[in-house]
Amino acid sequence: MNCQECYGYIDAYIDNELDIASTILVKQHLRACFGCQQLLETRKAVGALLDNPQVRFEVPDSLFGRIQSALPVSRSEVNQRSRSRFVIPWFAIPFALAATIAVIFGLIFLNQGGVFDRSPRNALAQDVISSHVRSLLATHLLDVPSTDQHTVKPWFDGKLKFSPPVHDFAERGFRLTGGRLDYLNGREVAALVYQRRLHVINLFIWPSASGGTTAAESFSKDGYNVSHWVRDGFEFWAVSDVNAEDLRAFAGLEMQPS
Amino acid sequence: MNDEQTRTRFETLLLPLMKDAYNLSRWLMKNQEDAEDMVQESYLRAYRFFGSFHEGTNCRAWFLRIVRNTCYTALGAHDLKQKQVSLDSEVDEIEDTSPLPPVSLCQKATVEAVREAIAALPVDFREVVVLRELEGLSYKEISEVSGVPLGTVMSRLARARHQLYLILSDRKQHDQL
Repeated sequence: MNCQECYGYIDAYIDNELDIASTILVKQHLRACFGCQQLLETRKAVGALLDNPQVRFEVPDSLFGRIQSALPVSRSEVNQRSRSRFVIPWFAIPFALAATIAVIFGLIFLNQGGVFDRSPRNALAQDVISSHVRSLLATHLLDVPSTDQHTVKPWFDGKLKFSPPVHDFAERGFRLTGGRLDYLNGREVAALVYQRRLHVINLFIWPSASGGTTAAESFSKDGYNVSHWVRDGFEFWAVSDVNAEDLRAFAGLEMQPS
Repeated sequence: MNDEQTRTRFETLLLPLMKDAYNLSRWLMKNQEDAEDMVQESYLRAYRFFGSFHEGTNCRAWFLRIVRNTCYTALGAHDLKQKQVSLDSEVDEIEDTSPLPPVSLCQKATVEAVREAIAALPVDFREVVVLRELEGLSYKEISEVSGVPLGTVMSRLARARHQLYLILSDRKQHDQL
């Protein structure tokens, strides 16, 4: 690899967007070329300056409400307003009845296919996601902002009837940023917050009714990835918009914290 | 799915993206008022197009593309014309790969200085820097949002970072004087 080629690859190299073969070539070239080492340093220096959350612009508080009220009312509300214009002719009634029955059978059929699955587990998954979304919206992500597991764990004492296991995996790319109390499944639960690059992972923990340990079960819903497992008598629900692979890696770390 | 469910799903998926949408819009429009208007317009457009949103699509990239296009439309023909020029120059201009002067950037450069440096970039460079460095998108996602091939994402990012380095190191020398 020459300097020209290295120049073309250096950004992808820094951003971990390069395939393994090219990464090795860039590394080899960097070892031999002082000029390109300097280039790498300048790129890193720029990156370090940009890696500051304050450079981003924060959403003005008023915008959230403004957009919610700007979104159109649902069509059913619109129909209610103009209902008086519709008069149902008497001969349409049998057809309407037939259509209604057809729809009911259709819904029953769909339900058997699991389209409206409101099993307790699915409902809980939905609650976990909602809780994750709320935590990001309401700027109430953290009650105890700390990257120290020895600060976060004692904080829960006296606030919960159990003591959740707290581990930091910063060196593995999942940094503990704090914790808060949350309410799920009809009880108070511990929520630990981790950061994966710019993504937030919420980990909800509470004592399991069944106890024991189970393997992690992962799925995605509404664009969020969810992972659930039981370890040493605690229920764990992890939810985030990180990719499924990262969340599985996170679940793997949590299941066997050293 | 009825209207209410659609609305709930829309809000669950898209309202959490407001931070990202606003940040992108604010950087493209360069002022708060326009940025807010563009975010609102983007939400309305997204609501209209929500029927074409499919499960499994990358929601953030899908929405940021709408935000980006809304901003570009508002920025108007003038800026788009400039963009054409810069696209041409992208091909013609030969990259300067000569070793850079070994100036280390002041790590304590103020947030304001960094913001000014980003704001000074041409819009398509600014866009790629914001999407990568401030929004944390992958190259593939940036390519989806900006509607340009991966190779262009890479070369724009390289040139944008190079320019940022030049601007910020100039500033450092200036500050020392």
